[in-house]
Amino acid sequence: MKRISTFITSAFLLLSLFTTAVFAQETITVKGKVTDASSGESLIGVTIVVKGSNQGVNSDVQGNFSISAPSNSTLVFSYLGYTTNEVPVNNRTSLNVQLESSSEVLEQVVVVGYGTQRKSDVTGSVSRVSGAEIAKEPVLAATQAIQGKVAGVQIISSGAPNTLPTVRVRGTGTALAGANPLYVVDGVITDDIRNINSNDIVSMDILKDASATAIYGMRAANGVLLITTKKGKSGKTVLEYNGTVGFKEASNLVNMAGANQYAGYVNEASVFYGSGDELISPQLLENGGNTDWYDAILKTGLQQNHNLSLSGGSENITYFFSAGLLTDEGIIQTNEFDRITLRSNNEFNVNDKLKFSTLASYSRFKVREVDLNAFNLAYRAAPYVPSKIGDLYGNTSLSNNVGNPLLNLEKNNDQSIGNRVQGTFALDYKPIPWLALRSSFGIDVDFFKNTSYSFRFANTGENNIFLTSGGNQLRNNSGLGVTNNNSSRWVWDNTATASKIFGKHNFSLLVGTTAEQIRFGSLTGNRVGVPEDEDQWFLGAGSTIGASNNSSGDLSTRNSYLTRLNYSFAAKYLLTATFRADGTSRFPSDNRWGYFPSVGLGWNIVNEEFMRDNTFFTALKLRGSYGEVGNDQIPTSIYLPLATINQSYIFNGTEFLGISFDQLPDRNIQWETTKEFDLGLDFGFLENRLTGEVDYYNKKTEDALIPIVIPAILGDANNQFITNAASFSNRGVELALNWDTSAGDNWTYSVGINGAYNKNEITGLNGGQALFDGGVGTQGPVTKSDNDQPIGSFFILETNGIFQNAAEIAASAQPDARPGDLRYVDLNGDGAINANDRGFFGSYQPKLTYGVNGSVTFKAFDLSVSTYGTAGGKIYNGKKAARVDSRDNLETVVAQNRWTPNNPNSSVPRANLNPLPASTYFLEKGDFFRINNLTLGYAVPSKFLTRYKFQNVRAFVTAQNLATITGYSGFTPEITSGSPLNGGIETGIYPTTRTLAFGINVGF
Amino acid sequence: MKNIQRISIILTSTIILTACSKDFLEVDPQGQLTEVQALSDPDAAEKLVGGVYQTLYFGGFGNTTVGFLMVMATDVASDDGDKGSTPADFAPAGEIDNFTVNSNNFILNNLWNGHYAAIARANRAIEILEQSSFSDVIKNRLLGEVRFLRGLYYFNMVRLFGGVPKLIRVPDPSEGNSDEFQTRATREEIYQVIIDDLSFASQNLPLKGATPVGRATKGAAQSYLAKVYLYQKNYQQAFDLTNEVINSGLYSLVNNYAFIFRENAVNGMGGINNSESVFEVQTGINVGENAVSPLFSNGQGARGRGGWNDLGFGFNTPTTDLVNAYEAGDTRRDATVIFINPTLPANSPGTVLWDGFRIPSQDSVENQRYSYKPYHSALRESPQVSNNKDTKPKNIRLMRYAEVLLINAEAAANLGNPIATTRLNDVRTRANLAPSTGTIENIWKERRVELAMEQDRFFDLVRQGRAGTVLRAHGKSFADNKNEVFPIPQVQIDLSGGRLTQNPGY
Repeated sequence: MKRISTFITSAFLLLSLFTTAVFAQETITVKGKVTDASSGESLIGVTIVVKGSNQGVNSDVQGNFSISAPSNSTLVFSYLGYTTNEVPVNNRTSLNVQLESSSEVLEQVVVVGYGTQRKSDVTGSVSRVSGAEIAKEPVLAATQAIQGKVAGVQIISSGAPNTLPTVRVRGTGTALAGANPLYVVDGVITDDIRNINSNDIVSMDILKDASATAIYGMRAANGVLLITTKKGKSGKTVLEYNGTVGFKEASNLVNMAGANQYAGYVNEASVFYGSGDELISPQLLENGGNTDWYDAILKTGLQQNHNLSLSGGSENITYFFSAGLLTDEGIIQTNEFDRITLRSNNEFNVNDKLKFSTLASYSRFKVREVDLNAFNLAYRAAPYVPSKIGDLYGNTSLSNNVGNPLLNLEKNNDQSIGNRVQGTFALDYKPIPWLALRSSFGIDVDFFKNTSYSFRFANTGENNIFLTSGGNQLRNNSGLGVTNNNSSRWVWDNTATASKIFGKHNFSLLVGTTAEQIRFGSLTGNRVGVPEDEDQWFLGAGSTIGASNNSSGDLSTRNSYLTRLNYSFAAKYLLTATFRADGTSRFPSDNRWGYFPSVGLGWNIVNEEFMRDNTFFTALKLRGSYGEVGNDQIPTSIYLPLATINQSYIFNGTEFLGISFDQLPDRNIQWETTKEFDLGLDFGFLENRLTGEVDYYNKKTEDALIPIVIPAILGDANNQFITNAASFSNRGVELALNWDTSAGDNWTYSVGINGAYNKNEITGLNGGQALFDGGVGTQGPVTKSDNDQPIGSFFILETNGIFQNAAEIAASAQPDARPGDLRYVDLNGDGAINANDRGFFGSYQPKLTYGVNGSVTFKAFDLSVSTYGTAGGKIYNGKKAARVDSRDNLETVVAQNRWTPNNPNSSVPRANLNPLPASTYFLEKGDFFRINNLTLGYAVPSKFLTRYKFQNVRAFVTAQNLATITGYSGFTPEITSGSPLNGGIETGIYPTTRTLAFGINVGF
Repeated sequence: MKNIQRISIILTSTIILTACSKDFLEVDPQGQLTEVQALSDPDAAEKLVGGVYQTLYFGGFGNTTVGFLMVMATDVASDDGDKGSTPADFAPAGEIDNFTVNSNNFILNNLWNGHYAAIARANRAIEILEQSSFSDVIKNRLLGEVRFLRGLYYFNMVRLFGGVPKLIRVPDPSEGNSDEFQTRATREEIYQVIIDDLSFASQNLPLKGATPVGRATKGAAQSYLAKVYLYQKNYQQAFDLTNEVINSGLYSLVNNYAFIFRENAVNGMGGINNSESVFEVQTGINVGENAVSPLFSNGQGARGRGGWNDLGFGFNTPTTDLVNAYEAGDTRRDATVIFINPTLPANSPGTVLWDGFRIPSQDSVENQRYSYKPYHSALRESPQVSNNKDTKPKNIRLMRYAEVLLINAEAAANLGNPIATTRLNDVRTRANLAPSTGTIENIWKERRVELAMEQDRFFDLVRQGRAGTVLRAHGKSFADNKNEVFPIPQVQIDLSGGRLTQNPGY
């Protein structure tokens, strides 16, 4: 390591010496600020050169510049997308310059990790979504609001309050390690952004290819999402309020059979195909009700979001304060959630060289979770059983051996409170104009407390809570589980950025080091016999008999060195090279340092001489990049042989705690490596009204973790040896197009479309074992991850219609079948249908993800719409497939359309009480297209406002998740649960919700 | 220039500050014991031995040593027990019952895995013990305990599969794939391992009473060694060893046979670790309820057809043949078999067990008979905190004094020693039967009823060389020179790269 630091130091010294020549000239120092002529916003990275020389600087992130120039010279301010401005110095030492924009879209500045870059200089694949776009959608997590807005970023949403959507950037590149991207909030690296109020966000930048992400090294393989929060601006104090109030409901439900339909189906199955007895007697129906169990457990929930912010500043101090309250009752009985967020982002300019900034946030949430199994129970519960009458519950365990879902919700109280503080404290120092030093210290501290109480209830005797006594749903003892988790992490970044221009050569070199520590601790306790009163829900109130407690922890550290060189020649030829060396405690000491290089090249064709007369293109850039990144989301110390402790045995009637070593670890375990190639084209034409980009990428993951089966004689408890062997690939194309224009004085409109195609494949298990996963009921695993298939492919029997008569059966491989049964394909042709006839039928991973977004403003009205869709993924309808008890309820369509001799053309098999084997009958297309958000707003004209000292008032209605078009028959085609190996299986899923809300924005 | 120097200093110092020392990245796992830490504990060796005992709990449907799946491979394979439960349930056990078993049967693979996982733990403990700083007495006792268990496990393996890979030390990772470990040793080599282990144990273990209850004793090692010699037809050794156990005076029969299998003694008779107990798997109620062999009790418990809170899965049901094997008046019959009452006459009382628990009549119960010995009374015995039937704390009686007497009798009979009759009649008298003569045939017959449903019968028939005759007469498709052992699990053959050879006929 010492070698690297020495290298960096010497590089700096060299650079320093090299530049002393420049200082030797006799000059005056001109300082000032460059702003956009129309918006007044600071322009970052404007090139300022002394005319006729090769001496120049760039403006900094505040638009400030400082340049040494002869007192009679002329300064040339140039910035891509802006008209170049030449300003004579005329002995002035202070100079504020405004630039007129010539185009808008491509001249964004993007956050690229440890710095910012003009979009036109970027050689990697980076996308940005503005905070305004994100805040528009009334959702908890910012990532939900970027769904459909960024090509190649798949967001799988969940309707459950307090849930982070699943994010996949350019496919899934791992089987056993974590597949989630890295989140960086104002420089703090984290894995959870539920604490971030969307209204506090300036932008989210998504680094997609390895050349963009390589600066994050060992953790970058799943993509990087950078969130930048708001800061104040010098000038007038601005007070803003944004709020919405609305209602939330399930956007799609499955119709279950009613009591008579249910009885008809079950009795037909039993009388004609089963024991011959009627399972559901007329008396049962007569005495029972007709319960829609989903009605019984669902509700319409209130959702509110209120945000207040205050920002402003003087020349030396800027501030931004915000407070937010979000409440979300969810759509299932007893579900509740609220979150408070506070933020204080301040910057202090100590002098013109030194700036201190603090960006700090606090969030607190309280949630009452629901057991999602209630959803499965409601699917299964017999409809003739009443849900609840008065205080007494219907006894579903008597009807079909299933828990009463409403009771499950009401007799459990699982609540959590989380408090989290996150912040960055940074010192920026510019000792000389071309050098920026930064030291920032980030913290993220999280305190989490869960209290989970399960009420006691009886099914007989005087405490019986059922309408009819008996069955097997009872709880003899109340139980209380308490969990206190706390996690803390700190990261200390030190970077130096040198930016210099020599004629047409524009250099920027970043070097830096970071150190990081992540600590986690958990304390849990369980007791029984705790009183029902919520104020008594403490361990001390329970019985010591059977009490248990545990604590556990985790600690890891990291030390990294990073550098990035940006070079451009005449704004035509661009080079970005990055390198990060990551050292981590999570891997064996001989294997602890990973090195992650990348290089990107760009060619701004539009700036070429031969394009000088071109009026068609406003932007045209070809870029290509290659990089290597890692994924270290694997358990800490997985490489170490660890003792299994507390191996109980009884001697002399008392417990003796032994130990054993049962796992043979791979002592050379390391991170998974992804190598990615990206080729892209950015373009703009028709006066930049149409802009867009297209990318091709090829991502190869190597050394991915995979279990290898080893013989039992080696004594490994599960006969598995987890090692770095497998390789995966994701290849794809992304396209984004934006059309933005004013159609007249009163009209503006914009349309954006984006789409991405991704092909995921396991290119080599390399001796590893094909992984079966995704167990559904008695069907066993329904997915298999094997060579040449996408990760998590469905591996099941294929159905081929329904048997109509005995002749068809006799000619088949299913001699025991009866007319109305599913016919399976005898894939191996051995004349029998069994597990050997399973084949691959696609995976849950969509091949295509796309979004269309548009907005129109007409005078004071604004209308915006965002949509999202996927195609090519499959979903296994696990609820339908896992028939547990022969008397379980079934879907209306199954009951109605079942095969009977009089309904021979049905695709639904005959009435059947038993679970069917896993087959394509349960596999459906997961394609969907959804209107994610539709917002209609009206800005109250200012003439009505001035009397009340309002700056602006806008009222709006917004609909989140307005409509979904899908052929999928289950609750939602978006399945967030599951690992890369078993995604896309619908069981116990919180249904997607629809929210209709009214809101206002007020500025004071 | 001065500026530049200052910057360089700042930069250099910043970089050095964050270029933390190497120690910063040295982080041990939190709350988990690494190998190095574990072995630096002075009690590490003893704890490792505890970990070897814990392998006696390997059970459920998973990796197994002496638990539920072993019941399938012994009682169910024999003429004592039928598979039970519903006809379609648990087909792999049905294959064993009918001798249609093939090498993909998961029960056999889980027995293979369980035994080798346990043997690996034993080998590890032996390696550490030999390096430990314990006194020789303690070290040899602990070594004796581990080698006793390893001998027991190899004895199971050789009887299940014949010759198997011989691992008596921890292979270095580089040797794991060598032919030495990946091929089968001969049956004789494995028997030599067993004899070496049990001999060492019998020489170094304390007598019953001189060591905590539950730990292996000299008597246990001698009894098992005698049993091994019986299998080897080394009758003199078997006779001498059992005589030592008998003459130690530390063991006696429990007068009431039924009380042997209770948890609590009745009027000072029976209960766990009773006077007749030579070696048994200790269980108990601890917080995690994991000090048990899962499913052992409820896997064999009476199975309902709905309508009552049944006892379990209903496997290993006593056969009619077993019931008929008892002589009239044999008290052991009703202590071994739970008889389900027929539905008629109306209002049939059902079956009331010793603790008052009532099993309804046949219309609500799946099978006609169930095994009584694994029954654990929820009403009268250790109450569980959870209602988890899978973890009923039932001690498994692996070696009883009655068997020691019968081994002694059989060895004596083979040696022409008339004491065979005395030993046999000791066992018969306790069962309320008239004396008989100590012929080999009578002793074999007695072994069956005395040890019925105690995971011995199938191995015993094979040992006696009449498994084919008896089991075919019982209606099973037993093939001679094939079904005496089970097939080597195919997955293990595959993992050895084909170096493990399959047993003949499979």
